[in-house]
Amino acid sequence: MGYASSDHGDGAPLAVKILIAGGFGVGKTTLVGTVSEVAPLRTEEYLTHASVGVDDLEGVSGKATTTVALDFGRITINSELVLYLFGTPGQERFWFMWNDLVNGAMGAVVLVDTRRLDVSFASIDFFESRGIPFVVGVNCFHGVRDRSQEEIRKALDLDPQVPLVLCDARNRAASRDVLLALVDHLMAAQRSRTAPLPTS
Amino acid sequence: MKHWTEGFDDGDADESLVRPYTITGGRTTSERDDLTLITLVTTISEASSEIGHGLRRMQPEHRAILGLCRRPLAVAEVASALNLPVSVTKILIGDLIETGQMRARPPLAFAQAGGFPSMTILEAVRDGLRKL
Ligand SMILES: Nc1nc2c(ncn2[C@@H]2O[C@H](COP(=O)(O)OP(=O)(O)OP(=O)(O)O)[C@@H](O)[C@H]2O)c(=O)[nH]1
Ligand SMILES: [Mg+2]
Repeated sequence: MGYASSDHGDGAPLAVKILIAGGFGVGKTTLVGTVSEVAPLRTEEYLTHASVGVDDLEGVSGKATTTVALDFGRITINSELVLYLFGTPGQERFWFMWNDLVNGAMGAVVLVDTRRLDVSFASIDFFESRGIPFVVGVNCFHGVRDRSQEEIRKALDLDPQVPLVLCDARNRAASRDVLLALVDHLMAAQRSRTAPLPTS
Repeated sequence: MKHWTEGFDDGDADESLVRPYTITGGRTTSERDDLTLITLVTTISEASSEIGHGLRRMQPEHRAILGLCRRPLAVAEVASALNLPVSVTKILIGDLIETGQMRARPPLAFAQAGGFPSMTILEAVRDGLRKL
């Protein structure tokens, strides 16, 4: 069998993607590295080129080399399915890449640091406004649990349906559980799409 | 639109930004817009025996890509392995697809309007993650 809906069943598996988002320094790269089967990979894109969309070399070479880096990891699910995790910074200078980042993404994990919840606001806004399913992972730096989940939800103005899970991005089981929370969330959403709610 | 081999010039590779676009013959945008970060690309093995066929100016990077992708790799993985920007990598991969030396498998468009991963995919991902 295969997951293909198209005629590309020529041996290559299907690639799916989960975005690991959130503001500066919330633990995105750490989480990707913790669960990836390979050391996190890093790739770059030219900011000047991609944001300006130029196609003449002169225009590019005259400018300073500005690149943005993003890191990603890989989990081979089975011979037909590969899951990629992309750490996606929340800075606005990254927005130009987001069409490509979002393409093929099943959903996202937005990591937050309870001491600096505000740095992840932009990521939450982004996924909310595009209707991309996400869960919030509360990265427990230094075991800090200084805020109740209710407080965090309120501060993030989180929709009640959006799961919020505590995690430690350095811990494999905890990081895996955040990803599983997203998959469960997606499954619940899928069920409610395909099966109408029972009438009461 | 200029062909990428036109105006090819080896002598101007001293600037870090220029070098990658020298590889592409000055092209900075891909004519293919269907390659994404996680499009999986694979070398077509029959084609690799006649490397260079159809490509007038094969760069070492083209060969490196063909060598890497004997097993399917995502565009992002190729870019990372070659230490090239994603946009440049897409152009090179596009060349190899155009000349029949590679094939590409695009991801499903989940996040696009109405797209949603099927239960089969979700269950497989869940089972795979549980084994971590
Ligand atoms: N104590 C603790 N430290 C963590 C945890 N997660 C990440 N860190 C540390 O926090 C710092 C930032 O983590 P990164 O994974 O680099 O964060 P990031 O979100 O990728 O950061 P940027 O890419 O710069 O936005 C690093 O020094 C990590 O070692 C955690 O769960 N607990
Ligand atoms: Mg990082």
